Amino acid sequence: MTTRPVDETPDERDELASEYVLGTLSAERRTEVQQRLNDDAELRTAVDAWERRLLGLTDLAEPENPSHLLWQRIERSVNALNRQPVTPTAERSSWWNLLPLWRGLAGAGLAATLLLGALLLTQATVKPTYMVVLVAPQDKAPGWVIQASNRREIQLIPLGVAEVPADKALEFWTKAEGWQGPVSLGLVKPGQTLSVPLDKLPPLEPNQLFELTLENPSGSPIGKPTGPIQFIGRAVKVI
Amino acid sequence: MPEPIFDYEARLAACGRGERQALRDLYVQESPRLLGVAKRLVRDTALAEDIVHDAFLKIWAGAAGFDPTRGSARGWMYSVTRHLALNFIRDNSREIQGDTDVQNDAETFDADVHSSRIHRCLEQLEPSRRICILHAYVDGYSHAQISHKLGTPLGTVKAWIKRSLTALRECMG
Repeated sequence: MTTRPVDETPDERDELASEYVLGTLSAERRTEVQQRLNDDAELRTAVDAWERRLLGLTDLAEPENPSHLLWQRIERSVNALNRQPVTPTAERSSWWNLLPLWRGLAGAGLAATLLLGALLLTQATVKPTYMVVLVAPQDKAPGWVIQASNRREIQLIPLGVAEVPADKALEFWTKAEGWQGPVSLGLVKPGQTLSVPLDKLPPLEPNQLFELTLENPSGSPIGKPTGPIQFIGRAVKVI
Repeated sequence: MPEPIFDYEARLAACGRGERQALRDLYVQESPRLLGVAKRLVRDTALAEDIVHDAFLKIWAGAAGFDPTRGSARGWMYSVTRHLALNFIRDNSREIQGDTDVQNDAETFDADVHSSRIHRCLEQLEPSRRICILHAYVDGYSHAQISHKLGTPLGTVKAWIKRSLTALRECMG
């Protein structure tokens, strides 16, 4: 949150509002103003007044008829919007609906398959029934493997030591199709194997999602992921 | 016969209740002008349509929370659209590729036909200062782009704009 500078005079505030509406502020200062507008009533009043003053200038731009497809696009998007309940947590969990992320993960599937094959060859003694490779969302680098030799317990195995800022912790989550939201499986120490009993959850199922997010040291305060995703992947049934 | 007055406030309130037809009405009424405003800022028809698309989603989603004491519904639609377009051009820093694509003067500011108060106040500014305000608001030019376009030092452009805005505030109240 950006707070107003303590020594800002009304004139400075009005000047900021005027240049924001005029459009001459830099990207950084625009973001700053837009954040302040959420809870700075005085700045909001100043901006509203400038919007009113300058509105008449919009008719200097020549009108142009949109293509007939534009309304259809808007309608489709409104339909999609209406299917999602608008709740304060909607924004937090909205990454579940991030198409690019899932497209990327589809690409990571091949890497996962290869890795999975390698692991199967090296760990022939206990045959897992499900496996998950958790990859970093940006570069798809595999970071952890989850294996389950039965559907009641899983093991989270590190492939390296993930870097976690000193004031943060990694929290482990899962979500299967049809669940309301992700469920926490607890905090994870970088570089250490973790066994998690799934006794309070339904049995593992194909395609079940697992991920590690960056949270406060004591875990997410709201019981849902709030921080950025560090690693993510889906369960694959091993034949 | 006078044209019946289009009730933006009522349409927006209806959008807030989830009435799709009201959004359609607002679209039919304003989309060509909003597209014109967005296109002048982003300089590309497809991009401008993206901006108008996003603006109508924002209008739909924000309709229930719209506070009529803060300004007119029509004005809000323009603000939403303009700021989406301005965020886009500032975030994509048109300046880097852009000094050369500062448009020629073919698209001028045809202020003669406009009688609203802002135009009368603008006329009281010196022409070079007036053009700074118009390039900023209508074309989305940054201080640097205006300076480049007019061949006027950056510091002068900044000072002109600052003083012009103060003059406009005094003129318009």
